[in-house]
This record gives sequence, structure tokens and C-alpha cells, in this order.
Amino acid sequence: MPAKKKSKSPLGIKTPRVDGPLKVSGLAQYASDFHFPGTLYAVPVEATIANGRLAKLDTAAAEKMPGVRAVFHRQNIGKIFRAVKGEGMEGIIDERRPPFDDDVIRYYGQYIALAVADTFETAKAAAGVVRATYRQKKPNVATDLQADDDPAKVNTSFGPMARLESERGNAKSAFTKAAVKIDHTYVTPLVTHNPIELQGATAMWDGDRVTIYEESQGIFNMRSVLAQMFGLPKENVRIITKFVGSGFGSKLWPWTHCILAVAAARELGAPVKLVISRKMMFQTVGHRPRTQQRVRLGATKTGKLVSLQHDYVYSKSILDDYQEDCGEATAFHYSVPNLRVEFGRAKRHTGSPTPMRGPGAVPGFYATESALNELAAALELDPVKLRILNEPKKDESLDQPFSSRHLLKCFAVGAKRFGWAKRKPAVGAMKRDGLVLGWGMAGCAWTAGRFPAEVNLRLRDDGTVRVACGTQDIGTGTYTILAQLAAEKTGVPLDKVEVALGDTSLPEGPVSGGSMVTGSLIPAVYSAAEKMCEALFKIAVNTPGSPFEKQKPDQLSFSDGRVFAKKGGPAKGVPFRDLLSRANVHYVAGSGKAGGTSSEENPKVSMNSYGCHFVEVTWQPAIAQLRVSRVVTVIDAGRIINPLAGRNQIEGAVVMGIGMALLEETEYDPRNGAPINSNLADYMVAVNADVPPIDVTFLDYPDKAVNELGARGIGEIGLAGIAAAITDATYHATGVRVRELPIKIEDLLTSSILR
Amino acid sequence: MSDSRESKDGVEMMPVTLRVNGRNFDVQIDSRTSLLDCLRETLQLTGSKKGCDHGQCGACTVHINGRRVNSCLCLAARHEGDEITTIEGLGQPEDLHPMQTAFVACDAYQCGYCTSGQIMSAVALLKEPCGADDASVKELMSGNICRCGAYPNIVEAIQSVRPKNGGKKK
Repeated sequence: MPAKKKSKSPLGIKTPRVDGPLKVSGLAQYASDFHFPGTLYAVPVEATIANGRLAKLDTAAAEKMPGVRAVFHRQNIGKIFRAVKGEGMEGIIDERRPPFDDDVIRYYGQYIALAVADTFETAKAAAGVVRATYRQKKPNVATDLQADDDPAKVNTSFGPMARLESERGNAKSAFTKAAVKIDHTYVTPLVTHNPIELQGATAMWDGDRVTIYEESQGIFNMRSVLAQMFGLPKENVRIITKFVGSGFGSKLWPWTHCILAVAAARELGAPVKLVISRKMMFQTVGHRPRTQQRVRLGATKTGKLVSLQHDYVYSKSILDDYQEDCGEATAFHYSVPNLRVEFGRAKRHTGSPTPMRGPGAVPGFYATESALNELAAALELDPVKLRILNEPKKDESLDQPFSSRHLLKCFAVGAKRFGWAKRKPAVGAMKRDGLVLGWGMAGCAWTAGRFPAEVNLRLRDDGTVRVACGTQDIGTGTYTILAQLAAEKTGVPLDKVEVALGDTSLPEGPVSGGSMVTGSLIPAVYSAAEKMCEALFKIAVNTPGSPFEKQKPDQLSFSDGRVFAKKGGPAKGVPFRDLLSRANVHYVAGSGKAGGTSSEENPKVSMNSYGCHFVEVTWQPAIAQLRVSRVVTVIDAGRIINPLAGRNQIEGAVVMGIGMALLEETEYDPRNGAPINSNLADYMVAVNADVPPIDVTFLDYPDKAVNELGARGIGEIGLAGIAAAITDATYHATGVRVRELPIKIEDLLTSSILR
Repeated sequence: MSDSRESKDGVEMMPVTLRVNGRNFDVQIDSRTSLLDCLRETLQLTGSKKGCDHGQCGACTVHINGRRVNSCLCLAARHEGDEITTIEGLGQPEDLHPMQTAFVACDAYQCGYCTSGQIMSAVALLKEPCGADDASVKELMSGNICRCGAYPNIVEAIQSVRPKNGGKKK
């Protein structure tokens, strides 16, 4: 019998999501979709001042309300410990103060009490009648950021960091002597992640064990934090998060509502469900801080950079030390002999910021790429040519080669697809159908690497496969990636692969952050497959009657779902299910671990992804209307495992970038410190009608430094650079340089083309 | 019969009969209960999602008598006698509505949280006066926010299902 033709690899093929049928039929269960008998509903009470002290809390009316089980506050919530940062991804929480820990109010919306009742309606009504009296002080939510008087080294969520982030040569004197200078300050507003899924937790205790259903981008870190805060061994805490209604960073680390749900469930001995409101999503679950970034570029008359200074200040909460690393990519992305990157911080009476999609690099690239575009205009040089002139041959900050950098190819492909050669650089020089066209471009990068990951792979006697890892799918397609990898290693078709994730009872997986899940899982799956094969070969040689009986395990091989003798070749192979059935073994398993790149003591290469955006806007002077009409994006992110979901992610990032450039800003009322547009009608995000055709190309150069398949990450890079491309296109169309996002109609009313 | 629960301590609950996905449900609910909360918490039909509770995001979209409605803006008790359809009633994995199939094929989602609402809006759109071009579809789908930004694929999925368009491909 001829050997079955080897099936096509599932990798690199446009693959509809394996969890798709569940998502389109309403069966995919997100954290708040689980029901348990006797569940009580909790609604927090929010502080209505942003700075001061809680003087008095009157809970009597709420407690008397029929159906109310308890109103919790500082005096009756019970013991909640403080979590400390541990090794690696352990103990990370951006608002470290336990909820209700003191009577000081440091931001509007800080939880001061929690009403728990039999129904959501009653809990909400009860929370509404809790009366708080405050000793109020004026809050500081000022948008002009002057750096606080901080020491040279400051604490951050990930440990101490020098504020002078990177330095080489003498940037100041090189700038002074430079023939051409650019010196501008770029501002990005405080913006809120706003995943459509509201954050929430359902917590239930069983003795000294607690189970929490919560939508988390990092269940193992959440477990370590909650174990510390409730004084439990880690094994006693289980987090389940089967589906996550996206996160963009806001669900990376646990927040106070989750801790309150766990505490209330402990005190009441019943499951407690606490889902926060959209308004609270603006107050207590993080945001991207406001940034104010001064970029000074010095260049020769031909456009070679001689000096780059990037000084930035970001807003932070009163107590915590989240760092927005706007300089993350500045030191490696351009070739420049003299460079200085330094940051400062400005405390404000807001909740803690937290990473938001492309933290640091997204506001950072808006500033540096905008400055580059302004330099190109000053030099009357094409902005693509300026970037080619300053393309580094190596990572000059680390003095290391790049593992795989094809940024110039991105520019070439993008320019061609966009038709950039037809650009007429003068402001207002291009028109179509009565509209003024503006063209702009920018480059981008995002760090690459791996987190530690462990994966368990099983072959089962019914011919199916199970792959398990305690990571999360936040909409990024991790269920499908794991299925594809398992199918690749076992030869079993995708519909016979079961994927288990989102549960701390599974092997420890990476956080869904940093665009690193896929890259981290690949070596773990491959290692698990090796272990699994070893176990399978042992069964093959030890089972009486097996065609491989008495052979040695190392004489066997496994591919396309069949075990075969290396000498005999796959043609004489035996399906694994036959071997398992003959041995009366239900499944054979292998676990594989792979380390993270941050633990590599001497990484020899600089690993990043790269890309660029070309943007067209249309400007209708008669009604001062600016629209993004076309985007071409090219991404060099290594090998793409699922181009269908991959393209979608980049398009989604561009959509968010349109919001960043034109729509999004959380505005605080200076009188009471409240985010005043804390709803989805007043905080505008891009909707379907805002989105133009988006043309995405992946270069698909494998980067073997990251993993054996050469896959880096794609979740965040698409949002970097896009705002700079849009503001440059806006300048080209209107003659207005907007250096503070988002672009507002008021800014554009100064356009000379209106007249 | 659903597993509705009467609260202790004299909370007044009212009996309501709702017709959802072709079945009658007799429930005891608080008069303040929104249709969305009733579907999710009382009937445990959690396919309809809460994203804002203000009628701003569209994640809770259901059909009432064939028209799309934000169920978070409806009081459940006011919908006795109405024919309510949720995503669960549209199609299940073994028997998907063509719009559900198109959403899978076109990858018209990422996290999937807004998807029920997108699909319920998209199915209602098929019977609404909507121009044949993509711009018309985008306009009529702009009440459903997808923060993941899968809009191009949502438009593609809808256009592939619309009969007058002859199954237009991108």
C-alpha cells in the first residue's frame, strides 16, 4: 500500500479560528458568563472626590434595603495583605495599595465601599444610597506636565530604573553644532483601553481555597498576587479565564475590584459576582498616561542625524510607579552617534496607569517619527529617503547586530503599494474629486522575545490530540495557534485537536502581553512533542504484538500521525491510535518547557519587529473635514503562523491608531478630578464608518533567533507609528502641524487652505 | 421555566412571561431589571453581552419582533408578548446562520465579545434599506463598536451574505 501523502503543514496558512463557532453562537464563556447557585451580586461605591479624606460613611440606608446582604468598607472587609513583587512575572499589580486600606482618597472613583445583594438591581440601588462625607482638597489633574523632583534612579513596576535611560556620545554639544535642528514637544493624551468586555470577577471559596473567574491577560501573576493578598499558598488559588473580551493591557495585572470580590465572597461564604461599569473602566483599571515628549534632532545638510535627544515626562498616580517607557525604541531605531534619552514623571490624582497596547513605544514613536518627518520637511527631503539615510547597521545602543531587520524592505514594499513615487511634497499640492489629499508615512518597531512557557501535549487512543497551556486567548488567536502547532507536530487535522488554556491548573503559560505568546509557545510545544514521542516510542517497542516490538526507541520516528522505523520509512508507519489501542493506553503525553529571553545572560542579538505605515487623508476645506482615506502597512514580524488572524490584528491596530490620532482622549474635570467623558459616546473610538481600506503586507522573514519557526509577535507593532503618519499626512493636506493628539477640528481651523 | 430566584426580606419581584428564541419563560424579576440582565442573569442566555449598559456599544443587540434593539436600554417587564431573538436562537455551532458562518470564514472578530451584537445587527441589516456599497454597510454597522477593530472583515462577512450583492468578494 502506498504511503499516505504527507499532509500540508497547517503553519502559515490562513486558518479560521478554531474557537470561531463558539464565538459566533454566543457559547464562548467570558468571565461574567458563568453561573453558580447562590451567587450574590456586588456593586462598588466610588469616591466622588479625587484628593482628600473620607470623613464619614453612612451605610444605614443601604443596609436596611431588602435583599442587601452586606455593605463592606474599611472596618468590615477583613484582612487583606499587601502583595510584593516577586521573581519574573510574580506579584505584579499596578495599584498596590489594597482596597479600603486607608481613608485617603487619591483619585476619583477609588472604591470606598461595596454593596452586596441577592440581585444586581438591589446591589446597584444599595450602592447608590451609601452616603460619603469627605474632607476635600483640590486635586491635581493638570494636563501640562512638569517633571517632579525625582532622584536619578526611580522605582518602576518592574524594579529600579535610571531616569537617564540611554546615552552615547555628547548629544547636547552635537545638537548645538548641528547644521539643521528640530526642537519640538509632542503630546499624547491620557487614553483608556476600553475593551468592550467590562472587567469583573466571580469569586467563590471552598474552605481555604478560592476559585476566581476573571478575564485576565496573565492568570499566573494574578494567582500570585491574590495568594499573597489573602495569605494563601499559591496552590489554593485557581484562576479561570476561558475567553477574554480583549484587554489591550488593561487586564494584564489584577485590579482592586477583583480583590474586593474575593474578600466579599470570603466574608459572606457565597459566590460573589462583581462586574464594574463602563464609567469605572475609566477610573480603576488603568489607562495610558499622558506624555509630553521633547525631541531634539540635529542633522547635517544632507540629512544625516548627528544628535538625538528624547526627553519625556508622563503622568502617574500618587502612590504607584508605573513607567511609560517612551524611549524604548529610540536608542536602537536610528543610526546616530550622539544620543540621550531621559524621562521624568508627574504625579496626578488619577488611578494608576498601566501598559496599553505598545506601551512606551506607541507614544514614543509618535514623537520621534513626527520629529523625523519635520526634519524631512526642513531639509526638503523625502521622508522615506531620510529614514534610509539613517538606517542603523546594528543596534547602536547595545552594540549588537539585529537578529533580523528588514525595515528598508518595508519602506520599499509600502512605498510601491501606496504609490508614494507620485507624491508632490508641497502642502495642498495634491487633489482628488474636489478634496485635498495629504500623504504621510512613518516607521515603527516593537521589541521581540520570549516569556517562559510550559506546554503539555497528549496523543489519545481515539486519534485526537490535546494541547494544554495556562496562557490566555485575548482575541489574538492563541487557541488557533496552539491547535496549528499541535497539528503540525502530530499530523492530526485541526478539528481533532482540543486546546485547553486559561486555567491555573494547567502548565504555566506566558502573559498575553508584549506580543510574545506565539513566540514563547513554539519552543514549548516543540519540546513537548519530543517528550511525547519518546513516551510513544517506548510503548511502540514494549507492547507485545506491536510491529515495532523489540526495536529500539531511537530507531523510530514519528511524523504525520504515524510511527515508523527510520530504516523502513514512513510508508510502513502505524497510526499512533493503533499503537495506543493495542497497548490499552488512553493517552501518551509529553510536557515541554522553554525559557524566556530575558533570563538569557548575554543575548547576542537585538530582537525586534519592524514596520511602516503610509497614510492618505482627505481634507475638505469647505466643512473642515479630515478623513483617513487609505492606509498601507508593511510589517516585518518574522514568520506569520496564521496570516488570517495576523492581518486582522494589524488592521485592528491601525483602526486603534486612527482613534489615537483623531478621536481618543480621556478628559479630567479640574474641579473634582473626575474623568468627564467616561462613557463610549463621549470618549470616541473608531467605529466602522471611520475605517478606510487598509492594505497589510507581512514580509515573512523568519527570525530564528527568537524560536525555531522564526515567529515574532504582531499584537502591538501596528499601533506604533501610525499616528505620526496621520499627522504628517494632515500637515501635507492642511499645512497644520498638530503636535498634541488627538487632532481636533479647532487645530485644523488654522489651515491656510480654508481660505 | 428558568431558575429565577425570589429574594428574601420582602424584595418585590414581579412575574413576567418572556418569549425568547421561540420558547416561553415564566420568570420572577425585579421591575428594574433590564432585558439584557434578565437574559444574562435570569435566563442564563449569556451570548448577549454587556459592554456599556448605556446603549452606546451595541454588544447587547437582540431582535425584538425582527428589529434590532439594544437590550440594555429595555426593561424586561415591558416585553411580554414580544418575540425576542438572541444570538443563541440565531444558530448553534452545528447549525449556524449564514451570517455566523461568514463571520467565521472572514475572521470578522478577534476577542469575540462584541460579536453577538455585530451578528444580530448584521442579520437585521439584511432586511433594512441599505445601499449595496461598503460605505452603506459601514454606516449601518457603526452602532456596534469593535474595539479590536475587525471592521474590514465584518464588512466583508456581511457583503458575502447579502443576496442582492451577489455574494461580493473583497
